[in-house]
Amino acid sequence: MAKNQIRIVDTDIHETAQYKDILKYLDEPFKHYIQNCGWIQEKHMPYTQPTVAGVNRADAIVPDGRQAGSDLSFMQEQLLDDIGHEYGILTSALDPSPSSMHGWYEMATALASAYNDWQIEEWLEKDDRLYGSVHIAAQDRDAAIKEIERVGSHPKMVQVLLPIDDILWGDPFYHPIFEAAEKHNLMIGMHHNEPPVYYGKWPRYFIEWHTLIPTAHMKQITNMIFNGVFDKFPNLGLMMIEGGFTWVPHIMWKMDQQYRDLRHEVPWLKRKPSDIFKQQIRVTTQPAEELTKQEFNSLIEQMGTDDILCFSTDYPHWDYDSPTRALPNMDPERKKKIFAENARAFYPKLP
Amino acid sequence: MKEQVVCKTNDIEPGDMKAANFGKQNVLVCRTLDGEFYAFLNQCTHQGAPLDKGMICGATTDDSQPGDYHYCRKGEIIRCPWHGREFDIKNEGRMLANPDKRLPSYKVRVENEEVIVYK
Repeated sequence: MAKNQIRIVDTDIHETAQYKDILKYLDEPFKHYIQNCGWIQEKHMPYTQPTVAGVNRADAIVPDGRQAGSDLSFMQEQLLDDIGHEYGILTSALDPSPSSMHGWYEMATALASAYNDWQIEEWLEKDDRLYGSVHIAAQDRDAAIKEIERVGSHPKMVQVLLPIDDILWGDPFYHPIFEAAEKHNLMIGMHHNEPPVYYGKWPRYFIEWHTLIPTAHMKQITNMIFNGVFDKFPNLGLMMIEGGFTWVPHIMWKMDQQYRDLRHEVPWLKRKPSDIFKQQIRVTTQPAEELTKQEFNSLIEQMGTDDILCFSTDYPHWDYDSPTRALPNMDPERKKKIFAENARAFYPKLP
Repeated sequence: MKEQVVCKTNDIEPGDMKAANFGKQNVLVCRTLDGEFYAFLNQCTHQGAPLDKGMICGATTDDSQPGDYHYCRKGEIIRCPWHGREFDIKNEGRMLANPDKRLPSYKVRVENEEVIVYK
């Protein structure tokens, strides 16, 4: 794709906060625990990152040495201006957002609010191209709903980033969250966090974990579809972020096959699982496997539609996908859909 | 027109079914709770399982909710003995999860307490 040929809507950009950045948005006594007691969330990932600069692109480290993704002007220079983004959707980078924090409900809730305020003030209101995700600590569901009520109507918040826990999202526990999201025209976004893929634990090597990330997406989709969430909340959409996309035909076929055999168990389904998927679930492209044009088109054909895929870079992470190199050439109409129009059609609040 | 007596009416109770031979074909003769008879090819459209080894039952309804099943169509649904697929006896043997698929069917009439299958 020639530069600027299509104005890209990038569905996965990771802005990063340091703990000190969010202190001014944090209420007491929580501020005190971080400022004076050195509290940080427990770190889980057991690996020394086997890449050049940890989870980040080595060239995305801010020139003054700060962490990649922590400086808007450098992100503008390296990503938004350079590529010519039309819009980018911020999805954060784990803590200090409580996206994988368990326990201490009130601290997690306070962190989510502080993070949202920081995101709005430091990013969304400083660059017209950036749209955001509402962070919540769903372990305290009612507080999470209050947070959606508090910031969900911000014109630049387009989705709720729901943390993955050990209750799958089709469970009635989450339904009031979906109701609140629907009320504010927010979609639900799932970005993998720690460590949902391997029986709730980490495998021996990073490469195993990273290979199996889409299994977390498949579990959540299967649970939500067969528990009737998408019929109960017909305006709800689910964006499955950073799991790649080559698994999509597999889970569609598998769910449809199971439905043909086991409809009796889930009679509340009003539509075939793959039809629900096509209507209410979207999938970001990164990390894309290297497919030939023929393989890519065949995969789209297997999905039965080219409405599902939404391009994402995952900037500034190490497994970044280049808009000009990650996907094979495709016809201009399809390219327009995947690089911009599918995401625009999905997020009601994206102009 | 080929036709054949396959059983006596009292060989099959309402809500039951049995296999019978119709020429070289194996047919499934079903009797719904209202006493009516129906006949289909005794092979699942999916992988050919013998349907007479499954069961006649009812269906769960689409106004069910997770945790709260509602039932309907008692005695009108064939469930395959292998994968449990459901076929609607009174709707041309159509599959509930995919009504485009249906069991090949035969005509049936009753004369003098004999069940006659014909093409």
